[in-house]
Formats: sequence, C-alpha cells, structure tokens
Amino acid sequence: MRRSDYLIKRAAFAIITVFVAITINFFLFRVLPGDAVRNLSRVPRASNELVNALKEQFGLDEPLWQQYVIYLNQLLHGNMGISFSNQQPVSENLKEALANTIPMAATGTVVAIIIGVSTGVFSAWRRGSKLDQVSTNAAIAFYSFPTQWLALVILIYLSPWFPSHGMSDPFLIDPTPWEHFVDVARHMFLPSLTFALTLYGEYTLIVRSAMLETLGEDYVLTARAKGLPQRRIVTRHAFRNALLPTTTLIALSLGYIVAGAILIETVFSWPGIGNAVYQAVTERDYPMLQGAFLVLTISVVFFNFIADVLYFKLDPRITE
Amino acid sequence: MEPRRRPVMHFVLPLVLALVASACSGSSGGGGDGGEGAEGGVLRIGTSSGLTSLNPFVGFNQDDYAVWMYIYPSLLMYDTTTPTYDFLPGFAQEWSQSEDGMTVTFETVPGATWSDGEPLDAEDVVFTFEMIKEYEKTQTAQWAGSVTFLETIEATGENTIVATYDRPAGTALYDLGLTPILPPQVWEPLAASKEIRRFPNEPEGGEPLVGGGPFLLTEYRKNDIALFEANPSYYGTKPLIDGFGLQFFRDEDAMITALKTDQLDAINEIPPTAVETLRSAGMEVYEGPALALRDLIFNVDPEGQQRPELLDPRVREAMEYAIDRQAIVDTAWLGFATPGSTIVPEGNATQGVSWHDDDIQPLPYDIAKANEILDSLGYAKGSDGIRVADGEQMEYEVVFPLDEAGAGDRAFRIIQQGFEQIGVRLVQQRLDTNAAWNAMYDKGHYVFELAMWDWFPAADPDFILAVLTCDQWGNWNDTGYCTDEYDDLYTEQKEAVDPQERQRIVFEMQQLAFDARPYIILTYDRRLDAWSKDWTGFVPSTQGIFNNFSTQSLTSVHQA
Repeated sequence: MRRSDYLIKRAAFAIITVFVAITINFFLFRVLPGDAVRNLSRVPRASNELVNALKEQFGLDEPLWQQYVIYLNQLLHGNMGISFSNQQPVSENLKEALANTIPMAATGTVVAIIIGVSTGVFSAWRRGSKLDQVSTNAAIAFYSFPTQWLALVILIYLSPWFPSHGMSDPFLIDPTPWEHFVDVARHMFLPSLTFALTLYGEYTLIVRSAMLETLGEDYVLTARAKGLPQRRIVTRHAFRNALLPTTTLIALSLGYIVAGAILIETVFSWPGIGNAVYQAVTERDYPMLQGAFLVLTISVVFFNFIADVLYFKLDPRITE
Repeated sequence: MEPRRRPVMHFVLPLVLALVASACSGSSGGGGDGGEGAEGGVLRIGTSSGLTSLNPFVGFNQDDYAVWMYIYPSLLMYDTTTPTYDFLPGFAQEWSQSEDGMTVTFETVPGATWSDGEPLDAEDVVFTFEMIKEYEKTQTAQWAGSVTFLETIEATGENTIVATYDRPAGTALYDLGLTPILPPQVWEPLAASKEIRRFPNEPEGGEPLVGGGPFLLTEYRKNDIALFEANPSYYGTKPLIDGFGLQFFRDEDAMITALKTDQLDAINEIPPTAVETLRSAGMEVYEGPALALRDLIFNVDPEGQQRPELLDPRVREAMEYAIDRQAIVDTAWLGFATPGSTIVPEGNATQGVSWHDDDIQPLPYDIAKANEILDSLGYAKGSDGIRVADGEQMEYEVVFPLDEAGAGDRAFRIIQQGFEQIGVRLVQQRLDTNAAWNAMYDKGHYVFELAMWDWFPAADPDFILAVLTCDQWGNWNDTGYCTDEYDDLYTEQKEAVDPQERQRIVFEMQQLAFDARPYIILTYDRRLDAWSKDWTGFVPSTQGIFNNFSTQSLTSVHQA
C-alpha cells in the first residue's frame, strides 16, 4: 500500500468514527432517565407554564428524529447550540473551558512523559537493582491509585503551601504579567501534579518493558560485542526501537487529557472542560453534553490519527 | 458576544487601597480591644452551589437569588435579626395594604440612581412588574409567581407605586417586595426583541453590571469566581467592606481546607461533618434553624400506587411509629438537625408570626404500637418475618435521589432497621436527581411506592404549602396528594390579609397534611455556616450568611 492510500484510509476512518460518535452522543443522553427542563423549572416563584415554555424554547416538544436532523444540520453549519442552563452558546462555554484545561493538563502530561520515560529507561537499564524495584513499585502504585483519592490526599497535605482551588487569585490587584504568571502557575501546581502522578506510572511500566524487550535483541548483543559504551547502547540502539509502543501510548493518552480532567478538575474546582461536563451531566444540559463529548471524541480520534501517522513514519514496515 | 477577559485582573482603585490597608491591619492581628473593627477589605466567601446564570430569568440556584438581592434594589427585605422576620425597608421606605387586601402602596426612596447615573424611581418598579406580567407565560415565567392576581401596577408619583389586585392578596407584600427591580435601560430593548432569556447579564468591557443594590458585580467567570464592590451610589446604608468575592468549589473537602488555610474568609453552608474540624481549627461556626426538611414520601395517587395497602392512612401511621427520629438526628446528622413534624419547618416565620405549628408533635418511636396497628389490619407475618398484604410481601422500593447521599443514606438505614422490626422491608433505589423524578412520575400519574427527598421552603410559607395542592400535580407535587379541602384552605390563606388570620389557616393545613400523611417529615436541618475570626458582624439567617432575604449580612460584616 502506498503512503497516500494509507493516510486517506486512516482519515476516512477517523471521519466516520466522529460521525458515528455524534449520533450515539445525541441519543445516549436522551435515553438517560431524567429530563432537561425538570431541573430548570424547579424554581420557587415559577409558574406551571415554565415547563412548557422551556420545552418549546429548547425544541424538546419536537419528535426525537426531527431534533436529530435539526442538530445535525446546525452542527454542519458550525452551530453547536445554546446551553440549556446558562443560555449561552455552547461553543463559547466550551472554548472558555478548554482554554482553561489545556495549559493545566498539558503541563501535567509533559511532566508525566518526562518522568515516565526517564524512569522507565533507567529501570530497564538497571534491571533488578534496588532502584529498579523502588521505581517500578512506585509506578504501579501511582498507576493504580484512584485519581480523586490521590487528588484529595495531595490537596489535604499540600494546600497550606499551594492554592487548592480555582485558576488564579481574584484578589490579586493589577498584577504585572510576571506576577500573573506566577499566580496561575501556583494555582496550576496541585492539579498538574496530580495529573502527572496519575499518568506517569503507566509510561514507566510501558517504557520499561519495551526497553527490556529491545535490550534482549541480537543487535544490542552485537553492539555490546563491538565494545560500544553502555550509555550509547541504551540511547542509540535500544531506546530508539522502544519508542514505537511509547509513541502510541503518548498519542493515545493525549486524546484522553480532556476526559481525565473530569475528576481532577472537580476536586480542585478548576473551571475547565471536566468541570463543565460534570455540571452538564447533573443539569441534563443536552447541548453542552453533546458539545463536550464531541470535543472529547474529536480529540481522541485526532490523536489516534496522529499516532497512526507517526507509526508510519517511525516504522516503514507498516506499509508493506 | 465578546469573549470574556482572561484573568488579567482589573480591580478598581478603592479596592486596591482597601486591600493594601487590610493587608497592613491584618498583619498586626486586627483591633479587637477598641470594639470598633476596621472598615474596608475584601471578604472571600466560598460556596459549593455556585451560580448558574446572572440573568434573573435564567438562573435557578440559591446563590443566584442571593446575588440579585445584593446587586438590584428590592422594595422590601426581611429583617433576619427578628425572630419573625418582619419586613424591613428596602427601596420602599413606607408601605401599606388596604383593609380589603386589594390595594398595596409603596413609597420609594427619593433621588436614587442606578450605578450608570440614570434615575431610579417608581417608574422602574412599574416597568419590572409589567415586563414580568406581559411575558409571564414565556420568557419571564420564572418570576410569574410574583405577579399572581396582580391587576394593575402604576406610578402615581415619582416615588409612589400603587398595585391593585383582583382579589385579596395575602402574599402581595412578599410577591412585590422581594422581587429584584431591574434597570429598564438594559431590559426594555431585550423585552421588545424577545431576548430576555438569551441575555447573559454579565459585566463587560471592564464595566460593572448596571445595578442599584449595595454592591455592584464587577467580574464574573463561570464556575470560578464572581467579584463585587461596594456601590458608591447606593441609596441605603453603605457596606463597611469594599467588596466581596464568591468562589465556587466543586468539592466540599477542598472548600473546608481552603478556609483552614486562609484561602477563604467564610463558607456559606458547611456539612455537619465539618463542624468539629473547623471549630478545632479556630473558626467561628454558626448553628441555627434552617429552611430545610427531609421527608419520607408516600405515593398516595390512587391510580398510580400499585400497592393498595400504602393508600391506607393507618399503614402510614404505623410506619411513622417505626421511625426513630432521634437516632436519625444523632447518627445521620451528628446532632445538627431536629425531629420533624409538619411541612412548615421550625424557624419559618415572616410578617410578625411564626408559621410552624408547635402543637403538632411527631408520633413517638414505638415499635409495639406500629406492630399492633399492622396486626389489627390483618397483615400477618410470613415465615421470613415479612408481612403479607393482599397476597404480596410488604417489601417496597424507596426512590432515593443522590442529592440525599451521605446523611440521607444513614437516615435510610435507621428507617430500614425500624421497619424490619414491624415486618416491612425497604429497598433503597439510588438514582441521580433527574432520574429520580422520572422514576416517580410518568404520564400524568405517580408511579413509585416510597421515596426519600427534601424540601427547601421559601421565606413565605405559600410555596411549601402549594406542593400538596392539585394545581401542582406533575410539577411541584411529589406525592399525588390532592384534596378539595386542602386546596380550599390554600386559596383561603393566600387571600388572608391579616397575618393572624392567615396563621390560623396555615396551622389547619399543617394538621390536615400531618394526619393524612402523604409525607412523614423526618428531620429539619440546622443551618451551619463558618467564618474566620478575622471577620465579624455577619447576620445569619435560615438561609445562612449569604441569602436572598436581606442585604443585612454583607452590609454589616467587617474586619474584627
């Protein structure tokens, strides 16, 4: 198969996946028990008419298939709808939430990659040593801790030194750009740390096993026989080949950044996409849920696609 | 719409000066000995409910209502320092209701202005209610309750408003008095273009939201913070603080930690489990009556209830005898609750009278008595100890919405154990709040067996009394209770202008509901708020230190 054929096939597959996900998302939330207007209409001074007024306004009085057609049509025109609960465009709500999530989650992920890859390589290199044992056990432990539990423990023990909620100190008066940066970085510390700790263990374990596999290959033995220095064998010969599974893992986990944010953002009251999803679920805010899940789907599919492309680049055998 | 500003904080000059000043005085440990506390400073309040929208026709959280109370004028307020919540002058200095209850007159503060300099007078009040009235079935349905039976409202002078009703209006002062007055310069164009609900009503371009209350909203970030500064052009007594911030927490433990580590100054409502932690950390914890009740609900809709024995009031009475309320108070609520009796909670008092009937006492915990009643009805116990009624075991599903989790779970287990001793088995059906309602009501009928839920009644008892009326079938009514007798009394109390007369009817309704037992009221909550000892002067209420009853709390709070 030629390179372009491969890419076209992967891209087409990605697009179909997104479409299927859009459809499933639409019906999924509507088969959930509980309806959207009930929550909004439980207001002490409201009249009984509010329920009907809301249903009509949100188009919930139309048949389901018609709502679906309207939704698809609007989506193709780039309109994600209006949030039921705050009456603002979903795209605005999501843009704002995503802009808050990405710096925090990306920092956590990058730190996780750095720690995970280096401890993984080191563990494989010094296999069986005390350090390998400590590092591997720590990785397994952090990998298996429930995210929200770890987040709470971090919050309780570290919050005297770092802010435990929100993105910035609203009472900081006219900060210079540097002061503002420091303030946001301090707020980001605990959630990003949690993010990094929950992610890194998996990286360590995968990198370690990939490395062990390549370290046992004949070409590594050859390199040793040639008398190459140990460091060179590890970095040039073994690590490059161990990169393959690692890349896939990283690309895939990038796609789940947004999803992984839900628990962490809830604990640290971070005003990002995870928080928005949580709120939308409790309020049965269908347009927000559809929008947020669309973003989730697209990010997962997109990074899968990137992983495919990278794979292709890293390992030419795939085309054969 | 303009994208909201990134967190480059812009704060107005008075606040800057104030914060510097407060930082200086704060480090010296505060005054204390002089009695007079320091003025100024910015108060940081934590809340776990958060704002849904700043638009009064969209937002529905308790905090939304409290924000409107602080940023918009209201004709009247409730004086929460008095035990019966007497009316307090707001934008109206004087008010009166004609003897027949058909006419209400308000005299407003002369020379008031909105924060943008536009005059604030009787015309604005008239505008607000006429707008609500005009769109009551659509865009303004959320406040339609404040214009029920209102026939006309007009400004007979710059500062005089006269409202007339088509029948005696017992709740007129509450309906008109406690509704936010909105600036016509903002809302008139929106009403004309049917954009009332679409309007975000948020500060834009560094300008505060046009308001007329003691505080102005200067900054708002969804799910994060809302910032307020004192309104220099406010017509009433100006606040002592320069401003306050509301910070939203998704996680209660994180919020408690924030108060302990000086990242917050006060928390509006803490869970009972946090009381000891905060007290031992040196925080002030307020405890008082709350407008909140927890109830066991019976489906009494004769066409929807599939278990005929539950429609028998004697069975429900037996079940009440099997509930150990004191154990629920002590174990589930750690003592921060009181045994419940009627649908109007203790502490619900306005207009100089208490609406809760103290003479109605819950049935005592008496397993023998409960068994005696069920035996007399012929429901014999089977070999497994569970009674049989009409050929079926007395085992019932209890719809349990997740917002009752925690204390509610513990309460459920206590009830379950009590019922076991009378040969009745309960199965908890945990559902999220939206799903719970769906499990209870379907296609015009109530379809559940039992449920456990809560009510947070409004200041005026009218609302909580309404939930048992036929008119609320499928809406607020969650039991299927519907009788002419109760409905007639409901209408009668609404038209009773004399508070004493209304009280008599409200007591009668409580007795009626208590005897019919569509609900067993388990407990009334205690209100718990906490703040740092660096601050003093909060005015607590049945809705806490940040409430929509009055602006007293945050206009009198100051640094210790």
